[in-house]
Parts: sequence; structure tokens; C-alpha cells
Amino acid sequence: MKPCDRFVFSLIRPLFGAFVAVSAVLASGAAWAQDSIQVWTRSSAEGRKTYESIAKAFTAKTGIKVEYFNAWTDFEQRIARAAIGGDLPDLIINDSGATGQFVQMGMLEAVDRQAVAGGQDLQERAWATAKGYDGKYYGVPTSAQAMVMYVRKDWRTKLQLPVPQTWDDLEALAKGFTHGDPDGDGKANTYGLVFPGSAQRGYAAWYMSSFMWQAGAEFVRPVGGGLFKGGMDEPAALAAVSWMRKMQCELKVTQPGAMNAPTQEANKAFISGQAGIYISGPYHIALFDREPGRDKVEAIPAPSGPGGRGVLGGGELAYFPKAAKNKAGALKFVEFLISPEGQTLGMKASAGGIAVVRLPVNRKVDPAQVNNDERWKMVAQEYEKNAHTMPAIPNWTRMQQVIGEGLNAILSRCSKDVAADLKKLNVHVNQELSAQRVLAK
Amino acid sequence: MMRTLRQWLVPALFLAPALLVFTWFKFIPMALGLRMSFYKVNFGAPNEWIGLENFSRVLEDEALGAAAWNTFLYVSCTVSLSVVLALLLALSMQGVTRHIRIIRTALFLPAITSAAVLAEVWRILYAPTPDGIMNSIAALFGITAQGYLNDPDWALQWLMLMHLWKSVPYDMVIFVAGMATINQELYEAARVDGATAWQRLRFVTIPGLTHAITIVIVLGMIRGFRVFAEIQATTGGGPAGATEVIMTRIYKLGFVQFDYGYASAASVVLFVFTALCTMLYLQWRKRLEA
Repeated sequence: MKPCDRFVFSLIRPLFGAFVAVSAVLASGAAWAQDSIQVWTRSSAEGRKTYESIAKAFTAKTGIKVEYFNAWTDFEQRIARAAIGGDLPDLIINDSGATGQFVQMGMLEAVDRQAVAGGQDLQERAWATAKGYDGKYYGVPTSAQAMVMYVRKDWRTKLQLPVPQTWDDLEALAKGFTHGDPDGDGKANTYGLVFPGSAQRGYAAWYMSSFMWQAGAEFVRPVGGGLFKGGMDEPAALAAVSWMRKMQCELKVTQPGAMNAPTQEANKAFISGQAGIYISGPYHIALFDREPGRDKVEAIPAPSGPGGRGVLGGGELAYFPKAAKNKAGALKFVEFLISPEGQTLGMKASAGGIAVVRLPVNRKVDPAQVNNDERWKMVAQEYEKNAHTMPAIPNWTRMQQVIGEGLNAILSRCSKDVAADLKKLNVHVNQELSAQRVLAK
Repeated sequence: MMRTLRQWLVPALFLAPALLVFTWFKFIPMALGLRMSFYKVNFGAPNEWIGLENFSRVLEDEALGAAAWNTFLYVSCTVSLSVVLALLLALSMQGVTRHIRIIRTALFLPAITSAAVLAEVWRILYAPTPDGIMNSIAALFGITAQGYLNDPDWALQWLMLMHLWKSVPYDMVIFVAGMATINQELYEAARVDGATAWQRLRFVTIPGLTHAITIVIVLGMIRGFRVFAEIQATTGGGPAGATEVIMTRIYKLGFVQFDYGYASAASVVLFVFTALCTMLYLQWRKRLEA
């Protein structure tokens, strides 16, 4: 062999070796892919721990491995990026509010309820959250929930104020927390309501939804035939927004910076003891048990307003992307997750984790037996009696953004004419309904 | 022949890695973005060609118009103030102070701080509580507690101040470098002629800094038009849309509403607008110098 040939050969040999090695890895990967599923969940690191304990039991049973990916704040963006790059997972577990948007993005497979083993055991109420505007089901419910009100019990008892039952009670409590120095440090540094009032992701609308239902209002009102009209110009909506304006602008009992606060900031305000009343999801029970502490916080039903009781309800759904590679594996995982065993595992937070099944969707599971905690019984009752879901328009996410921006503007500018501003907002709401082709003429 | 080839090849080879990276991570995505702006982007189905519809929507979009106005205010105020303040700082650095390293380092630190860190620090400074840092300082002067980023009438101005904190040191360095190139004999001649400090600044320093000023203004405009991270991390465009700029709006269109085609069209318009502004300014400078 000439020296030149030897040189070329010495270059080719490792390349060939690398080619063989890469091919072997790819081939084994392809074989392995059939025995594994990729699951993306909108959850925190604590939520992921519980999902991992579910996966462990699932793998032991079926031999199918589960690869998780979890994200919290930018979950939907990651989904969109994956969709555009043709790299969607086999299963997505996300808030039921995302259904309309995912359907409009054209990335979901419709679900045949009959084909889901154990699907008949799920509550009809939970299935309803999986229904798209076209009447088809686009997911399988895995968890249900209703918002609750967290109150600093230690502050309330110190000020000798009652558990709030009405908006008036709530107002009195918020004023007490703001002016009564409930933490006893001699400084005026505490506030009443925690209000995630940012327009980002439409948080202001999301938070205000419970107050809207308590006032008897609807963001958009169904008028039959799958059509809607804006409800922001109705007297009930005026009552809800005016009440919140009073809290924010006149009494100033919300936490400072409320109008720029997304939920993470709002959580901090409650955890750090800046404000003491927070209407939020029951998934925070475990978080607030740690800080401010279980002995200091009570989770109670939200009060009733002029229109009665009402809180935002909903849950989580397992969505099947059209582009999934292991559809059969994903379905098996969902069937396990909704089975009594999967639901029970999801409710029992593993060490360092938090529950990912808040209320079971499976009728055969009694939440009180799994989790002997009075607070969860209360959440179940709230879900049963007072929970409302966001309107079933084709794309609620867009509408939430429109309403969130409108409410944020009214409340942060402390509108002098709320009725007129709500009328203007309602024009935008109707425009969005029209863009989604569901506006009643 | 060989020599010319080598002359061409050597720099090309040195540039190749950077060009490759730029092509892959910048030019190709930009081209894809431009293509996307003519489509209704569907995630689970082929995209639909809709021609110029996205662009006509951009022109009719009230919210985007309001964001464009905020961006214009933001850019014009921050660029002009930054030039003046950076020039003053650069002048002050000319004397004895330029030897004090700690001052130079302290002055330049904000320029190398990441936008996210900057935003977090200023959010703490701007805490709207009576015991917030800025409010505590204001209280020393008898000023009542301010809402800062929560006040829709003032939030944009407070963000401008935050921007200046970062951009002024950067611009100052460009001015300091520019001043080093001014012929010292001109100063001596001016001094001999009995020129005052103001006259030396007016007739020697500023004319000598023409190119530096152009660079600072052009960079400031480009930086200002595409401002995003600082605003997203502090106010997210709120309250009441008071700090909504074009980029935060585009982010919402693209990554909250997933209207990729429309968001791309808005980005293309912003790109063309920024390029036009820069070119017009450069033309104007050229004519002024001629």
C-alpha cells in the first residue's frame, strides 16, 4: 500500500466504524421506540415526580417505557414548535382549556369514546370538557378540579373575622388584612386579595371568571344553534367588574403590582405573606401546606355573589396528536391513567411530588378514601355543585386574551365609566366571536 | 492566478464557520419566516397560501398600531437621551477619571448584564409598595409612593429609564473610542486660539465624533425597535397595554394565539421598517456630510 493510500484508508476506517455504530444505535432505537411512549405534561417538577410513579407502575404492567417531558409556563409554545417541526410526542396532557386551540391547529386526533377501555367509567361531566365545538371528543379526561379560596387562617382568627360567605364578608376580610396589621409586625405591608391581573395569557379573565359566575354573568352567552353573543355589556358583568374595581382602585386591598402579575407572581404574593386571600386551583393545596404552612392556611369555598355561588371548574385531558408514532402505546397509558389504579396513584403525591389527579374522573374512585383530607371533599363538592367551565366556543384561548386585555385595561386605568368601557370591550368580544364564525346575528 | 485564488480563499475559509452558523441559524429561518408570512400556517395540515392577506391585516390591526406608537416613543426617547447622556459620560471620562479603573468598570457593567437579570433587578427596584427601594428613596425627598410599572400613564417612561441604564454605558464606550481618534493638535490649536470649553466641544469634539454618533444612533434604533426581553420580563406589555411594543405584540400573536403566518408578516413589516429607517438616516447623514 502506498503511503498516500494508507493515509486515505486510515481516514476511512474510523468513519466506516462510526457509520456502523450509528446504524446499530438507530436500528436499536427504532426497535425500542415501539416499546416506549413520549408523554408531554404541563406540570411542574413536583408534578412530574408523581407522573413518574404512575409510569413506573405502567411499565411494570405493560413493559412500555414512558419518556416524560414537562414544562409549565411555555408549554403551549413548545407544543407549537414541535408541531411545526413534525416532532410531536405520542401523548399530551394539558389543561382542558387548550382543546379549542389544539383542534384549530389541526394537530389532534378525535377520540372514539367507545374505543377507550374504561372510558364508560368516567364522569359525563368530565367527558364534556373534552368535547370540541364540532361535537367530537378530542381528549380523554384524566383529572378534574374546581377553584377554591385560600385564606390566611392565622390572620383571620387574629382579627376575629368570620369565614367569608358573601362578597361583603370578603370585602370586610380584605380590608381587615390590609389595614389591621394581621402579621403583627407594626408595618402596613399586608394586603387582602391576591389578584393575578396581568393581561398575559388572559390571566385577568381567567381569575375574574369565578367572580363573573358569582354575579350571574357570562363572558359570552350561548343563544342556541352553536351561536353566542358577548355578555360583557350585561348588568351582571358590570356588577362583577365594578366590585373588582372597588377592591383594586378605591379600597386598594389587592397586592401591589397586581395588574402586571401573572400567576407565578400571584403565588409568590400569597406564599410570602404579602396578601392573604387567593382564589386559585386546588393544586396549590400541597404548595401552600409547605408555605405559609398548613396550620396557617385554610382552603374554603369561594363566597357567593349577587348571582349565587360559582367557580371556575375544569381539569386535564390527555390529547392524542395525529403525528404520534406509538398511538397504541399512548392509548394503553391513558387507559391505565384513568383506571382506578392510575387515578389513585395520581392522587397520592409521591415523595416530594404533588398530586396530578386532583379530583378523580373515574366514578369508581372515591376521593375521600384515597385522600382522607376534608379539603379535597370540599373541592369535590364545589366541582359537583358550583363549577362552571369556560364557554365552548371554537377557540377559547383567543377570547381569553381579548377579555383579559380589556379587563386589565379597565382595572389598571381605574376606569371612571366601567359600563361604557365594558360596552367597548363587548364590541371586541363580538368581533372575536365573528372571527370564529359563531356570532349570533 | 494562484495568488489571487489564495487571497480570496484564505479569508473565505476563515469566514466559513461563522457564515455557516449564520446561514443555518439566521438566514434560513429568516427566509422561512418570510415565506410563512404569505401563508395561513396550519399545524396538522399543509399551510394555505393566502397572498398578502396577513400584510393587509397588519395595516388594519389597531392593537398592533398602538404597539407601533409605543415603540416609536420608546425608540425616539431612548436613542436621543442615550446619545446625550453617553456623550456627557464619555466627556467626563476624558479627564483624570479615565485612569480610575473601578469607575470605568462600574460604568460599563450594566451594558454586559443580561436582559433577564436586568429586568428582575429593576422590577425589585420599582416595587410599588411604600417600602419598595425606589419609593423609599423617593420618600426621602418627600415624594409619595409611586406605582412605577403598574401605573399605565408612566410605565413606559420607567421602562425607558431601565433601557437607558443599559444602553448609555455601551454608547459611552463607542464615544470614548471615537474621541481617541480625534487629532489632539486640533484641541491645542483651539486652545491657542482662545476657544472656550464649550467651543472646543462644539467645533472639535462633536464634528470629530460624527461617525461614532451615527453608529450609536443606528444601533440604538435597531436595538429599540426590536426590544423584547426587558419588557416581557417586567410588564409583559401591560398594564392596559401601556408598554406593549411591536415585539411583545408579535410574541402574543405567534406564541399565545399561534397565528404564525400573521406574526411572521408583522415581523417582516418590522424588519423592513427598521431597515428603511436605518437607510434613510444613513442617507441623510451622508447628504449632511457632503
